[in-house]
Amino acid sequence: MDWLIEPFALGFQQRALVGGVIAGMMASVVGTWLVLRGMSFFGDAFVHGVVPGIAAAVLFDFSPFLGAAIAAAVMVLGIELVHRQTALNEDTAIGLLFVGMLALGVVIISRSSSYTGSLTTILFGDALGVTSEGLVAQAALAVVVVVLAVLLYRPLLALSFDRTKAEALGMRPALTHGVLLVLIAAAVIGSYQSVGTLLVFGLLVGPPATAALLSRSVPMMMTMAVGIAVVSVWLGLVLSFHWGTAGSATMAIVPIVLFFLTLAATRLLAHRRRRLARHRDTRAADAAAQAAR
Amino acid sequence: MPDDPSCRTDEHSVVAKAQNLVLRYGEHTAIAASSFVIPARAVTAVIGPNGSGKSTVLNALAGLVEPASGSLEVLGGSASRARERVSYVLQSVTVPLGTPLTVAETVGMGRYPSLGLWRRRSDNDRQRVQTAMERLQITALARRHLTELSGGQRQRVYVAQGVAQGHEVLLLDEPLTGLDLVSARTIDAIIHSERHRGCSVVLTTHDLEEARAADHVLLMNGRVVASGAPADVLTLANLEAAYGLGALHGSAATFVDDPAHPRAPVAGPRPYALEDNTRQPPAREGDGEPDDDAAHDVEHSDR
Repeated sequence: MDWLIEPFALGFQQRALVGGVIAGMMASVVGTWLVLRGMSFFGDAFVHGVVPGIAAAVLFDFSPFLGAAIAAAVMVLGIELVHRQTALNEDTAIGLLFVGMLALGVVIISRSSSYTGSLTTILFGDALGVTSEGLVAQAALAVVVVVLAVLLYRPLLALSFDRTKAEALGMRPALTHGVLLVLIAAAVIGSYQSVGTLLVFGLLVGPPATAALLSRSVPMMMTMAVGIAVVSVWLGLVLSFHWGTAGSATMAIVPIVLFFLTLAATRLLAHRRRRLARHRDTRAADAAAQAAR
Repeated sequence: MPDDPSCRTDEHSVVAKAQNLVLRYGEHTAIAASSFVIPARAVTAVIGPNGSGKSTVLNALAGLVEPASGSLEVLGGSASRARERVSYVLQSVTVPLGTPLTVAETVGMGRYPSLGLWRRRSDNDRQRVQTAMERLQITALARRHLTELSGGQRQRVYVAQGVAQGHEVLLLDEPLTGLDLVSARTIDAIIHSERHRGCSVVLTTHDLEEARAADHVLLMNGRVVASGAPADVLTLANLEAAYGLGALHGSAATFVDDPAHPRAPVAGPRPYALEDNTRQPPAREGDGEPDDDAAHDVEHSDR
């Protein structure tokens, strides 16, 4: 038991846990819609796209929330511009902006005197450096994000189902898509200090993807994703404490490992169920043959 | 089955009225200037070759494509204003395989236009969903995932979703294409029962027999080539104008060449046999085992 509690004895360790849990909840709720819409590559690019905004905020000392929001807007507009003005498909546009924005972020932060430290914090987070004020701001953002992602259940589900059908149902898919982008941006901005922009993607996609293997409905998928995210954060911090590994990275890797463990377990169970069914059929056939004799 | 009061379109004699209507997607003109009328309380079939603008007509009626020029009136107003009274069943919905959506929830989405963002489902909403599932014979599948269904069962789910929506006009984009016999018959029965309930149905099709069974036909080829009663529209001259010379098979011109919908030989009667039992279909390269389309043909030969 001590092994599980010991990592959270000190204040900064408790703040790391709370910050990670809030980030995990926020990311997994928004990530559910991201996974359902098949936008994982976009999500990956998006979390890198905010790097120059946060880098500029670190360098010029203004709000990282504002910087990330501006960078997110530039990213989305850039993708739309390439997609609409050329015959290239959206994937190419996302790829271009993905690399471009990440590189720009590194270029900006390389002007900083503490280049390596700042870059590491932005990309990989600093779970143990979360402050109480930071937690309050993060919690407020999380409430808005989670409430909106749940309240917009119908338009988001219709959009995940089919964009044209969503339009025919009057669910305003273009506006809904825009709101989803804002929610993703908010989840990334709200999580970057705990897990970093690079690793928040693990919490955005890992828990919802694992939940999708086990769920029969979207609300169940969302609830399970939140649970998996919370367990991932807690387990990640426990393991990082005992193994002496980076907290944020360990938190991000746990949901990915959980995904593959769940996948293996569900496949094994399905295989076992098929074998049992075959066995039952064979026994029934043998019994019928014996009765006929 | 509870009657649907919103299905009575007594105040409108026509579903839609187009005057010199032009429809475009960006720079591409999908429908050149066309004028037509779609009558109310009738089944209207929209037929034409691939890319002739059949789905575009439905998109315009559903308010999803704005007229580039000319005018289109739907239920006495603009198509976008009539959207709540028009239910649209798309030709193909590609729901991501990982989406955990049950049949009941998918059909329930048909109630979204009247539920809006937050209104809770009432008993009436639940009853309508239940009735739609019963009419499409999918009640036993209610808790199944979409990914666990056959193509025909999925199409019945999508039609049930359209039926569950309160509507005066039901738009169906190729509702019977490639279906198994049971699904095709079930959906065909819904089309005709909707008309008997006072609803208007507009469907697209590649099947001349299906078009002939309708009350009204629009023949398309980048514009409306002809519209009116099937007997007046589906003449050899009009069909050749829409499909091109040499595209027609059979003395009764029941088949049209369409690479997207190849016909395969099947045992038993076929549509062309309805009017000429002695003719055999010309041999076609690539003809093989019976497929879903073939089953579809048999279904229509029974009508």
